Amino acid sequence: MKILSDIAALVTGMWITWKHIFRRPVTIQYPEEKRTPYPRYRARIVLTRDPDGGERCVACQLCSGACPVDCITMQSAEDKDGRRYAEWFRINFSRCIFCGFCAEACPTLAIQMTPDFEICKRDIMDLVYEKEDLLIDGCGKSPDYNYYRHAGIGVTQPRGSGAEEKPPVDVRGLLP
Amino acid sequence: MPKLIIDDITVEVAEGTTVLEAAQAVDIPIPHFCWHPALGKAGACRACAVKMLEGPVKGIQMSCMLPVQDGMVVSTTDPEAVAMRRHIIEWLMINHPHDCPVCDEGGECQLQDFTIAAGHGIRRYSGKKRTHVNQDLGPFIQHEMNRCIQCYRCVRYYQEYAGGTDFGVMGSAGRVYFGRFQDGELESPFSGNLVDICPTGVFTDKTARFRARYWDYEMAPSVCSGCSLGCNTTPVARYRELLKITARKNEAVNGWFICDRGRFSNSAVNDPQRPRTPLVDGRESTRDEALEALALRIAETEQLYGTGSIAIVGSSRLALEAALLLPQLAQLTSAGALCYFTSEEERATTTSHLGLLSGGTSASQQEIRESDCIVVSGCDPLQDAPMLALAVRQAWRDGATVYVVGDGIVLPCEFTAVAAVDAVPLAAAKKPVLICSASCNSDHPAGLLVQHSQLKLAVIFPAANSYGAAQLAGEQGGVSLERAVASGKIKGIISVEADIPAHLLAGIPFVAALDWRMTETVRAAQIFLPTTAWVEMDGTSINNEGRAQRFKKVMNPGLPIRGLDPAGHPPHLHRTVPPGGEAQPAWQTLALLIERVSGEPVTEPFSGRWERLRGLDAGSEGVMIHDL
Amino acid sequence: MIYDPIDIALLLGKIALVFFVILTLAAYLVFAERKVLAWIQDRKGPNRVGPFGLLQPLADLIKLLTKEDFRPIGADKWLFYLAPAMAAIPAIMIFAIVPFGAPLTLFGHTVQLQVSDLNVGLLLFMALSSVAVYGVALGGWASNSKYALLGSIRGLAQLISYELSMGLSLVPVVMLARSFRLSDIVNAQAGCWFIVYQPLAFMIFLISIAAECKRIPFDLPEAEGELVAGFHTEYSGMRFGLFFVGEYINIIVLGGLATTFFLGGWHGPFLPPAVWFSAKVLAFAFLFIWVRGTLPRLRYDQLMHFGWKILTPLALVNILVTGWWLVLRG
Ligand code: SF4
Ligand code: SF4
Ligand code: SF4
Ligand code: SF4
Repeated sequence: MKILSDIAALVTGMWITWKHIFRRPVTIQYPEEKRTPYPRYRARIVLTRDPDGGERCVACQLCSGACPVDCITMQSAEDKDGRRYAEWFRINFSRCIFCGFCAEACPTLAIQMTPDFEICKRDIMDLVYEKEDLLIDGCGKSPDYNYYRHAGIGVTQPRGSGAEEKPPVDVRGLLP
Repeated sequence: MPKLIIDDITVEVAEGTTVLEAAQAVDIPIPHFCWHPALGKAGACRACAVKMLEGPVKGIQMSCMLPVQDGMVVSTTDPEAVAMRRHIIEWLMINHPHDCPVCDEGGECQLQDFTIAAGHGIRRYSGKKRTHVNQDLGPFIQHEMNRCIQCYRCVRYYQEYAGGTDFGVMGSAGRVYFGRFQDGELESPFSGNLVDICPTGVFTDKTARFRARYWDYEMAPSVCSGCSLGCNTTPVARYRELLKITARKNEAVNGWFICDRGRFSNSAVNDPQRPRTPLVDGRESTRDEALEALALRIAETEQLYGTGSIAIVGSSRLALEAALLLPQLAQLTSAGALCYFTSEEERATTTSHLGLLSGGTSASQQEIRESDCIVVSGCDPLQDAPMLALAVRQAWRDGATVYVVGDGIVLPCEFTAVAAVDAVPLAAAKKPVLICSASCNSDHPAGLLVQHSQLKLAVIFPAANSYGAAQLAGEQGGVSLERAVASGKIKGIISVEADIPAHLLAGIPFVAALDWRMTETVRAAQIFLPTTAWVEMDGTSINNEGRAQRFKKVMNPGLPIRGLDPAGHPPHLHRTVPPGGEAQPAWQTLALLIERVSGEPVTEPFSGRWERLRGLDAGSEGVMIHDL
Repeated sequence: MIYDPIDIALLLGKIALVFFVILTLAAYLVFAERKVLAWIQDRKGPNRVGPFGLLQPLADLIKLLTKEDFRPIGADKWLFYLAPAMAAIPAIMIFAIVPFGAPLTLFGHTVQLQVSDLNVGLLLFMALSSVAVYGVALGGWASNSKYALLGSIRGLAQLISYELSMGLSLVPVVMLARSFRLSDIVNAQAGCWFIVYQPLAFMIFLISIAAECKRIPFDLPEAEGELVAGFHTEYSGMRFGLFFVGEYINIIVLGGLATTFFLGGWHGPFLPPAVWFSAKVLAFAFLFIWVRGTLPRLRYDQLMHFGWKILTPLALVNILVTGWWLVLRG
């Protein structure tokens, strides 16, 4: 009978919860007990440098475009050598949801997530990080990549001498 | 009309349409690079491949090259066509430098869109990339040849459409190069359109270099204020700074393009000297204080010098909304003069030319492009209304004969110089157009219009809204400020975005100014109220044919974010009004003044016969005001 | 009528005691609920304030008292302020008729451990529990919010429906005890608890009181998954606290009544009567918490269907059977 099986289901449910009352809790008492997060844990964001020490970020605005909460803003600018860089770069950590979309969108591997999640502040304005707060001296998780060696514009090397590039064409040459 | 089936949708289009256009007519997008509605087809990129399933031709075909025929069955999604397009894109990308992050086109790039649409994501080619050296093309256009996909749009536009001679294609095979023979500024006054026409990032706007991405742009349909033609534009702003201006399509007016003068004209809006705070006797104050003081001074001046001692002065760059409120203000303050023009000559010539245009005799740019006989009489379109010259060239390309009366006139096409208009065989032409200028009264064409009923007239007026100003001056009995001051009665001037020469201001005890530019009048004014530039407000202006067009607000008024904080980044502050953001459209300030004087609030500038302009759509072709 | 000052003092003493005990108990019931739910979910529950988190109710109280007292624009001011009281006060008033221990003899007076031994006690309970509906209805109506209004409409329909089966399930109790007086009902169970004679009535009563105090699986008027917080969405601070505490007072009071009607009240061997009574009430409270930790919420149509098509007919049949049996027994 359906009613009997229904009652049996209720009783089974009650029995399961009853058993759980006596289980050992899985809670970790956070500030006293701490866990080391995995290296790919998504918390405080940093801007890294390329192996040659230059700022990796080219202020392409892909991270800010990808950010679902619009907490990244920046202004791009051109350096004397033609390098595109971020004049200012701001992440508002009071809005960030640490989804990692920015790091995923970044074509230069500049923006990276770190496992440092303890960034609470008393004043919410202190959670607005500017470029100098974000930029670190190091390559982060990808030590070898330098975007400008692969991109066609000649910033770190003369035109036509980057990775996988032929020397520039002589348009006036007559050879086929 | 041929009927065909594209992706199971039946389409009926005019004879001579291509399959690509037929598909676009029913919103089926087909990737394309070399085809452009204004340039037509070239068959250079092969990206628009479709499969013809039934009909006179079968198999993979280039949809941009194929005129429609009855009974065609087209598939854009056939696996063979999809694979073809994918391979084409892959080949186009073989030499591409993969530098989207540092390319200003990124985000608004046709190559990006179609690469993704075609499904090419991973580079399989392991060979090296061909590279080029760039050229310095002057202060406006940035060149980055590595990104070229050889669609030939630039050279077809520059040489064929715009008639430029200093830019072309060089080299052969895998080395073709699009540029000048040597470094140097592009000579064509329409070179800026290369930025819009190139589907990749080879040509980008140098004035907006590395400033923003498409998704951060603040954009709105707008109208160029550079000359009286009123070409349609889409200005681009970010952080309260006008970054660049791009062309917006309006078939009846500018077509797809704008001239360089309109495109690279953002400096006035971004000028750090722009006055942004209300001033009373040189002291910064609030808008309310300034309005209060203004109302008081008006009353004082009238007490002191009697009624009729105030002149209300508008201008031909003032938007229609504000211009329409001036008569009301003049009446309320019992002003002695309502002026839309400062100089008497400008008023007279503009008004007399306006008289010629009533009744549908004005030629739009489209009518010029379609004309078969064009007379340029005593004016220099390339100087005063450049897009008119480009329209003349299009007519000439279609076989029209072009006659020029006057010396020293250059046009981007071949023409016959004649001594007088009478020497032109106008009677033989089907759609003749006469181009003349309102600032030169010598060759007044009134007689010609009577002689040739089919003749249309394109008048070049001195400023963006001259037509509107002349129209209102005629309706409201406006005089020129020159005349009014000469009468000696005027002791106070309220200038609304007017540029009044110093000699007219001398000896006037009371001057008030509303403006967004730092003009001599603003400097001389005792009371000043800031207004918004055209990109900071919704407004209307009437172009040289009498076409009322709406422009929309692109950005908020206020000091640009850049430079607000010494640390270089935007300030860490919450504000509701940006610093210097008190500016208001001129008509709203006038409405507040009128309310202060009369006690009646003004909520809507358009009334009476102008009421139809209230809901004017900025995306439309505009409304001819003699239809109102 | 009582005129003796000692009687009056005793009465006031009883009232004070009842108030103190019930309010403290309600506060700690909140704590117990959070703890038990945490255990069921393998968590620790509140454990930061005081030893084992025992001062948590105090902290909650301070929090509620210091929170902003918020009233939505367009809310009906007086009804909005009145509603929380309407929810909590009738609940606590019902306890006046519950006998929570055997009569004592103090200062030569026989003291009923009951605030008032009314001869129509059971009817008073029915009446007061109907008044409690107003708290929900007015709170939701006065808030000027769609969630609150939906919650209160649900609450109205639910409380009225289940009150019916609740009342009907008590008729056999009255038939057995032959009195509406609660002390008589308790005394009638001195030999055998009514749950033995009336297991069906007990089940119906139990389900109905779960619905009366809007507990899971009958918490549709609050239904935080659908209606934010239902009828008290717009309440904050201590006004919300009143609604909240009212719910727990309701649990205690209805647990006390279930004890009185079916579990022999304070009767029980070995232990003092008051302890028996408390133990039974707490057992009910635990049952409610346990059920909350186990069952999901009903759908609204299921709720109505169950109330009208199953519980009420069952209760009616039960009355008939009881009457028939009583007649047969003579
Ligand atoms: S982690 Fe997510 S929310 Fe945070 S900045 Fe990156 S994209 Fe934005
Ligand atoms: S995506 Fe990377 S390179 Fe681009 S702006 Fe963000 S951090 Fe910089
Ligand atoms: S032209 Fe287009 S595809 Fe090429 S780099 Fe620029 S944005 Fe990227
Ligand atoms: S420069 Fe641009 S428009 Fe010209 S051929 Fe190359 S991709 Fe086409």
